[in-house]
Formats: sequence, structure tokens, C-alpha cells
Amino acid sequence: MSMVTNRRILTALIVALLLMPLLNSGCSNTKTPLPVIVAGSFMGPMEDLEARFEELHPDIDVQIEGHGSIQVIRQVTELEKEADVLIVADHSLIPMMMYNTTIAGSDEPYADWYLSFATNSLGLAYTNTSAYAGEINESNWYEILTKPDVAVGIADARIDSCGYRAFMTCQLAESCYDNASIFERLFGDSFTWPITVSVEDGIQTIHVPEILEPKGDKLALRGNSVWLLFLLDSGEIDYAFEYRSVAEQLGYSFLELPPEIDLSSENYSESYGSVRVKMDFQRFGSVQPEFTGEPIIYGVTIPNNAPHPNIAAEFVNFLISAQGQAILAEDDQPPISPARADNPDALPDELKELLQ
Amino acid sequence: MIRLENLTVNLKQFTLSGINLEVKRGEYFIILGPTGAGKTLLLETIAGLRRSDSGSIFIDDIDITRMEPERRKIGFVYQDYALFPHLSVRENIIFGLKCRRAHKIAIVMKLLQLAKLLNIAQLIERRPETLSGGEKQIVSLARALSTDPDVVLLDEPISALDPQQREGVQNELKDICKKLNRTFIHVTHNFEEAIALGDRIAVLSEGRLIQSGTPEEIFRHPNSEFVARFAMTRNIFAGLVTDDGYGGSIFTIDNNKLEVMTELRGQLHASIRPEDILISRDVLISSARNSIKGKITRVDDRGATLYVTVSTTTEFVCLVTRRSYEELGLSEGSEAYITFKASAVHVF
Amino acid sequence: MIKKTIKYLHQRRLTLTFLLIGLVLLLFIFIPLGKMIFSSSPSTLWNTLLDKEVRDSIWLSIYTALIATAFGLFFGVPLAYFLARHSFPGKRLVESLIDVPIVVPHIAAGIALLFVFGKSYLAGKAFDAIGIHFRDAVAGIVIAMIFVSVPFLINSAKQGFEEVDERLEKVARTLGASPWQTFFKISLPLARRSIFGGTVMMWARSISEFGAVLVLTSHPSIASILVYERLEAHGLEYALPVASVLIIITIVIFVALRYFTYRSKKQ
Repeated sequence: MSMVTNRRILTALIVALLLMPLLNSGCSNTKTPLPVIVAGSFMGPMEDLEARFEELHPDIDVQIEGHGSIQVIRQVTELEKEADVLIVADHSLIPMMMYNTTIAGSDEPYADWYLSFATNSLGLAYTNTSAYAGEINESNWYEILTKPDVAVGIADARIDSCGYRAFMTCQLAESCYDNASIFERLFGDSFTWPITVSVEDGIQTIHVPEILEPKGDKLALRGNSVWLLFLLDSGEIDYAFEYRSVAEQLGYSFLELPPEIDLSSENYSESYGSVRVKMDFQRFGSVQPEFTGEPIIYGVTIPNNAPHPNIAAEFVNFLISAQGQAILAEDDQPPISPARADNPDALPDELKELLQ
Repeated sequence: MIRLENLTVNLKQFTLSGINLEVKRGEYFIILGPTGAGKTLLLETIAGLRRSDSGSIFIDDIDITRMEPERRKIGFVYQDYALFPHLSVRENIIFGLKCRRAHKIAIVMKLLQLAKLLNIAQLIERRPETLSGGEKQIVSLARALSTDPDVVLLDEPISALDPQQREGVQNELKDICKKLNRTFIHVTHNFEEAIALGDRIAVLSEGRLIQSGTPEEIFRHPNSEFVARFAMTRNIFAGLVTDDGYGGSIFTIDNNKLEVMTELRGQLHASIRPEDILISRDVLISSARNSIKGKITRVDDRGATLYVTVSTTTEFVCLVTRRSYEELGLSEGSEAYITFKASAVHVF
Repeated sequence: MIKKTIKYLHQRRLTLTFLLIGLVLLLFIFIPLGKMIFSSSPSTLWNTLLDKEVRDSIWLSIYTALIATAFGLFFGVPLAYFLARHSFPGKRLVESLIDVPIVVPHIAAGIALLFVFGKSYLAGKAFDAIGIHFRDAVAGIVIAMIFVSVPFLINSAKQGFEEVDERLEKVARTLGASPWQTFFKISLPLARRSIFGGTVMMWARSISEFGAVLVLTSHPSIASILVYERLEAHGLEYALPVASVLIIITIVIFVALRYFTYRSKKQ
């Protein structure tokens, strides 16, 4: 008797499990999806924006996907995903990768405009169990990082903008602290295929080899800066180069670095520009292999093959509105107010009006 | 040489309680019991494959109750033979010796000896799955004998065989036991097997040993329903089977010469079903070859039928309907003739 | 003639139906694999194979999976035997727990391992004392692989042992075999097919692991992580051939394995 009952219960469970997706999709069929692909460091504010936006537009379902900035754009240009909004942590990537690349089977480029809407700064995230947590400050951080019992995490410069920006910060530190050995001591011996710095006409160029593989235990390299946070949590590393917004949002201790080197301020654009990062490989040219130091500016665009361009424009609208900016500020992501447009003539009409 | 004292095994749903048993060296001992009586459990406990909860097991007065099975020198033959399927017959047989690290030569010699004794030389290189039931049985026995055990335990060794194979294997078993002067404890639910093979029998029912003795004692004076029912539904005799000179056979019990149909000869047993025996007041002229005069010594009234015991020098139990009994005017003490065909006598 | 064919097919309705249904599934598996492999030209695939970084990562995948599988065998087979032969209160719970790593999202598994074997934790410190650390090291790859794939081996081995008739083991004991001899001469050989199947599954699953390994050890990179990094850093064209080469190599290995086991079956 109980064997039969058991079987019946099991069958009922299985049927219920199989039917559940149908029930769910029934609900969301009435909502319009809005796929948005964002840089990993923007995920936090993006979720808050999603919540508020969906409150205002209950018939829209914002679907978020996160990647390193370069990969964000590649999702559309190479993997042919359909996205309505793209947000990257380095605005220069949009013209670099989308203005001159045409959509498959047409003459149209993937994008022809973008908006700069937020900034960020680069610093060191750490916890209260990190070595020398009590001592570290603006002046001694580079000394502490080179101590043998300190492990440091950095994002992969070939994949994540946070990675190459960390290199820039460290190189800029040399002029800031008037100490020509900082970069060498931090990274000179840390990679199997070494990173080198060449100087020409006052421009310091950091060369990143094709294969970036950390040597020894001191440096941990991860494709996405967010992965470094797991390592911070478990005490595997003591410090990680991370965006301020991410560290603050997630509750890590954060060491702010001088604005001369933390890529936060437009006032220092020129000196930032004295540093470049060059990917020393010719393989695939969808990304031009050279990045020039500049303030961290987040860019947003609507690809020309977006499935819901009107709703996308509404979202971007929301993003750069006072409401959106308030959310950004709350999440430690300083907004650019008002948002600046690159190639404003190409803007969709709804946005053109707003920016007038 | 093997003695069980008050052996008890408590399982969740079954208990073997207080088993007392003694088996002499070289004896062919049968444990008889219906299915579920605990026969396999008992054998496995003796072999050390199961722990007993109380009581003791002695072999030659040495207490082996807590000894590991591999040290006990007890051979085991399972009902389904349990030959190692991934090994050849030869490897099966020498397995025990190899585990005990016997010398190569000793192993070869033992193998030859067993092959000769059991007539299995032609099977040596075969694989178990290619053997017939009877062949597997003998190989299983050879394997059990390979380590020169003090006792060989057999769990229903014949039950899975075809009727044709049964007789042959049965005889071989007894033969080997006597030839090697090895003690055999053989467990079965089959009465005829028990009587044919056993020097002594113990009856096991619901975890208890309820009777033990020679086969005749058990069947003449059963003290369990299980045995009684059997004894009652058979007439079992021991006697001598000889040629009758005409190409048939004679079964002699006491002074009675019964005509029977069988190929076997020698000291054997015979059984006749009560319903196959006809009772009459006068001599019956019929094609049945056996006709004996006797006196009704007992009547067991079962309502619609009656078990009537007719005695000559031997007792025969017959089954009669009430109606026939009354019409024939039979009663205790009256004379009667019993008649039965030669083919009704089952010789074994 | 046509009538005959129709009759022939009609009589084999079951076989045909199952064949067709099965074909759908086979196509579902083969077409994506085929497309992927053939999307790169043979010269690209060859060059990829010549690339030292690729060869190193594929080799690393293969041999860390082997190490993981070796650990799996050493620890998993005894466990499987124990579970097959013994009952105890809570046994069902234990068996369910063994299945859990299959269900846990792999990144979560990696994080969980990090918090046990990381240098700040007890196990991590213990291993550190003998010179083994797990973050960004081969040991990290191995434990991630073991965690996500060992349930396959345990379950397969357990089933194999359950199918070995206990009576065979009992007889062996009466013949004089110690429990150890019984295990190695009877139980293990008879269960070897299931154990082998489980081993291959564990090895295969280990090679393909990504999430758990990613958290612990991005470098040195096993093939699955190399594909990911190349995809992220350089794009699809650069990543795809690596995946294709890995697949081709594993197909070759599997075919070889099947061929050899088939041959031994025939014998």
C-alpha cells in the first residue's frame, strides 16, 4: 500500500516540477524583456536601477547580464547577442569596438553614439584581516604591497578594464611619489612572461604580453575584478585593486589613492594621459591594443540592432535623469551631471530632446 | 566431533534458539526442515559467516565460537553453488589453497586428487557458466573439499537439480563422505533426500531443533506436525532391493516381498502413498502385483476420509473414504487385504 | 516488393520508433559538436595544437583529471564497498549527501572549497605545513575536480559492489580468504566493469570542470579556463579552436578506451 502511495507522490512531484516553468513563463509572457549587458563593476547600481525602473514600468522586465567591459561589447559584436542597452566601464571602448564594425549582413555600424554618465576611481579593497590593515595609508601603500607576506589581487588586463587601469595607477604613482621603482617592484618579477615599460617622448607605455600568467604566490590574477573579492573574503589575498563603487557597495574597506593616480578626476586628464597600456600581440584586431590613461568614465549606448530601441531609450533616459543619478550617487558611483554625448547628432530623438 | 551448545542467533525478524547438536566424525548428518526454518542461518553461523548471540560451537572440543571463518576449516557448499564466475573451474577449486599460500606442488596434487575422486578432470579448464547444474554442484563440492576441512556444510545442494541428476549426485555425496571419512552436515527440506542420505537426522522448525535421531526413529515417532504430516502421507520402509529373476525387482521388508519397479539395487528405502493402496475384505483379483493380508490395527477418523493402518509384519497406512469404510464394514481389529501396484512403490 | 518492405518495417515498429527517437538525440549532440570542430580550418586547428600554451593547458587538464581520478579511486572505492555492504542509521542521508556536489552550482562549490582549503583555514594551514597550497596551484585544480566529479565514481562503484553476490564473498571466507583477500580477489574483480565506467565518468567530468576550478586556480590554466580567458581577452576566433582541439583529443581518448574494453570483453 505504501509503495503505491510513494510512487504516486513521486509522480505528482515530477509532474509539478515539469509544469513549473510553464507557470512561470505564463507570467512573464505579458512583460516586455529589456536585455541589458553591463560591466561587472556596474552590476550593483544596475540592480538598483532595475528595481526602480520596473516599479515605474511594470510591463517591462529588465534582464541584466554582466561581463568585463571588453566582453560586454563582444557579446553583441561577436557572439551576436541582441541587447538593448550596453554599459561599459571605459567609454572609449564603444567607439573603438562598435563605430567601425558593421552589423552582419548590413552596412550599419553596431553603434554610432554613446553617453558618458558616471565616473569611478581605482583604489585598494581590503578587509580587517588583511595584513597591515591598520597601517596602510595613502603614502605607504606601495611599500606595503611589496612586502613578502602580502598577497595582492589584480584583474586580467586583457579582459577587464579594471586590470589595465590598475597598471596605469601604479605607473602614475611613480611620478606622483617621485619614486621610479614602484611599478618594477610591484610587477617586474610577477609574471612568467614579464611586463615591461618603455618610455618615449614622455609617454610611459606598459607592454602586456599575450600570455599573462602570474609567477609565484604573491599576485593573484582573475579575469574579472569581482572574482578577487572571493579571495579577499577567504583571506587568500590581502589587497585587491578594485573600483571604489564596488568596494563600497559590497562593504569592503577601501583605501583611496591620491587623485593624481586614481583616475577619478578630469582635472588630471593630461597627466593620466602620460601613461599607456599596450597589448603586445597582434592576434585579433577587434580591440585596438592600446589604451591611453584617462579618467574612468562609464559609457552607455543602444546598439543599432537593439530589439526594443524605444524602451531602451526610456531606460537610458531614466539612467541619466535626476532619479537615476540619485541612485548612482547612493551607490558610490559618482554620476556625470549632465551626461555628455559623443556624436550627439546620432542620438535617438527621445534622448536628443533631453540633452538640450 | 562438532558440537553446538545452546546456540542462539537473534535477527530482527527471526531467531535461532538454543540449538543443541552433536555430530560424530565421518557422519552424514541431515538437518531437515521446511523453508524458513532457519537452515541456512544455522549453517552460516556454524561456518562463522554470522555471529551468534549466545551459546558455543566446538570442533574436536575446541571452542571456535568467536573464530573468524577463514580459520575454521569448514567447507561450505551453497544451494546455488556460488562458483566464482570470473575464475575457471581450476581456479575456483584451488582458490582456498592459494589464499592460504599453499605450496605450488601441494596445490597441483590436491587438484589432481579431487579431479580423480569426483571425476571432473574434463571440466578443469571450463568456465562456470558453461557447466550444467550437476557439474556445478560437484565442482562446488570439490572446492569445499580442497582445503581438507573438518566439516563440510551443504545448503540444499540437491534442490536445484533436475530429477535425473539428483540420484547421481546424492550417491556421490554419500560416497565421498564415507570415502574421505569427512563429516557432512547437509541441510534440506526434502524428506526422501533426508532418509536416503542421513545417518542421523535433526528436524529444524521455526528456529528450533525439535527432534533428532536415525531416519527410522524420526519417521516412526515424529514429534512435529511437519514430520508427522509427511510420515502420515507416506508409508516409508527400509529394505533390500533385489532382482526377481524375471527382469523386475523385489523389495524385501521384514518378511514381505513387494514387487516394485526400479533400476536400483541394494539397501534402499521405499514409500507408498496411502491413497495408492486399495483395501478390501477379500482378496482382490487385479493387475496389481502386490497383495497382502493383514489386520486393521488403527483407524484415524478425519471426517470425510479415514487413515486406516493395516499391519502385517509391517504397518501400511491406507486412505479410505467414509462411505467405502462403512460399506465395506471395516473396523479396528478386522482382517483386510491391501493391494497396490508395483509402480505405486517409490524406491529411493 | 514495396508490400514486403512495408511488412518488414511494420513488424519492427518498436525498433524503428526507438531508432528514430534516438536519432533525434544523437543529432542534437553531434551537430553542435561537428559545427564547432569544423568551424575552424584544419590549418588553424593544427596551429592551435602547435601552440605551447594550448598544449600545456590540455595536458594540464588531462593529467590533473587523472590525479583527481586516482584520489577518487583510492578513497571512493573503499567508501563504495562500505556503503554497498553495510546498513546504518542515516545511510540514506549519507548517500544523498554524496550526490549533492553534482547539484551544487560549480562556482559555489569552488567558493566552499576556498573557505576550507584557503590558507587562512585549518585544512589550508595543515597542508601548508607540508608545502601544499591550493590557490592558483595544481592542488587547487585537483580538489575542485574531485569535489564535482567523485560522486559519479562512488555511485558506479557502489552499484558494482551491490551486484556482487555476497555469497561469493562468504564462500571465499570459508575457503580461508581473509576479508582483504576476499575484497581483492573476489569483490573487486567482479565489480571492475562498474568501477571502470565510474572512473571514466569521473575523469571526463573532471576534464570539463570550469566554475569550481576558476575560483581556486585560474593559473596555471586548464583547457576549459584557457578557452574562457581567450574568449574574454581575444574573442571567439581565438578561443574556439582550443575548444575544438580539446574535444578532438578527448574523442580520440574515448574511442580508444571503448575499443580496448570491447576487445577485453570479447576475450
